[in-house]
Amino acid sequence: MSDLIELSQVSKIYNGGAGQTALANVSLGIPAGQFAAIMGPSGSGKSTLLNLIAGLDRPTRGEIHVDGVSVGTLGETALARYRRRRLGFVFQFFHLLNQLTVFDNVVLPAQLAGVKPREARARARDLLDRLGIVEKANEYPERLSGGQRQRVAIARALVNQPAVLLADEPTGALDSRSGDQVMELLAGLNRTGQTVVLVTHAAPLAAAYATRVISLRDGRVVDDAQLEQPAVKAASDLLHLHSEEAD
Amino acid sequence: MSLKYGILGLISEEPLHGYEVKTRFEAMLGGTWEVNIGQVYSTLQRLERDELVEAVGERGDRGRLAYQVTDAGRAELQRWLSEPDAAPQQIHDELFVKLMLMRRLANGNLEALIARQRRVYLQRLRDLAELERRARAEQRPDLLLLLKGAVIHTEADIKWLDACLEEIASLQPYTAESDKEHST
Repeated sequence: MSDLIELSQVSKIYNGGAGQTALANVSLGIPAGQFAAIMGPSGSGKSTLLNLIAGLDRPTRGEIHVDGVSVGTLGETALARYRRRRLGFVFQFFHLLNQLTVFDNVVLPAQLAGVKPREARARARDLLDRLGIVEKANEYPERLSGGQRQRVAIARALVNQPAVLLADEPTGALDSRSGDQVMELLAGLNRTGQTVVLVTHAAPLAAAYATRVISLRDGRVVDDAQLEQPAVKAASDLLHLHSEEAD
Repeated sequence: MSLKYGILGLISEEPLHGYEVKTRFEAMLGGTWEVNIGQVYSTLQRLERDELVEAVGERGDRGRLAYQVTDAGRAELQRWLSEPDAAPQQIHDELFVKLMLMRRLANGNLEALIARQRRVYLQRLRDLAELERRARAEQRPDLLLLLKGAVIHTEADIKWLDACLEEIASLQPYTAESDKEHST
């Protein structure tokens, strides 16, 4: 198996056989180090796909392998361990624990995963530093802006050095400037080798940061586009303010 | 129209030669519109004919002539600036004709055409994002507005493709008969 994430013939049907098909025969592979975006309107199956990769839901048919783990066949305990050790999650609404400091929010998942306290603290401090919020380490999340909270959430997602960072509409609750900064952070992490899977309904976001855009519709992959590095020489190659003439 | 008024507006700031008009116009638009110098001179001549600008002083070095705005020109510029743009909307006619023809020829099997077009738009969004980064680095917030407009239009183009996919799925197969019904 060459891909870090591999889905083969995956279907998800809710409410039994006569129920609603959320995903139909989806096969795709995401190699390590890729920044892939999964795009589609509400109800297209993108959240279902993310939940299946995350082991939060099980496929009705088909197989899912992530980092060598057959996700669909794990028991609950093994699934919890899989999520803690191999995945990092970033959500639209941050999901930080408001009664803990920023630092403790980041350290906690490492402690749960059995990382030694000294190592866990060192990782948390290093991540907060890399993400530019180390001076907020002793504050509580409620005192931070949305953009800062999302940075904390990203630090938390990375503390167990996950194979895959799953980001579900990570800029959905942010203004455009903070959203851009968060996306730049994710792109920077990807440049250092972090595999990122972004779920979004926003085409500009997907195309600006991901190198691959997988489009879903009615539970099927309707397009799987590899984007090229921008090789634009001048704005006029892209934009044409048309000139008319003579009156 | 916008070239004519763009030139009129720049000359209303101070008298300019044709070549200065060209370079200022292009700088104002951040390289998104390369103007042919011949087009600048012919526009200046029409503006002069309509008494919206006038030649000022003598011909300078290399025979260049500067123009300044007239009172009528200033009034016309104000009128234009205060008017909303009510011209018919520009739509991608080529893609639309392709879709219509493909519906006839391939009997509604348009998914591949739409998928190819979608990739073009996604790549365009990626390229526009790069231009936005550059404009930010060059501290051109005015240019960012233009690029933002292009991003929003491209996003709308993708939504239109999605709507086409949805509509096409619900269309009756094309027959020559259905065409006749529409034309009667």
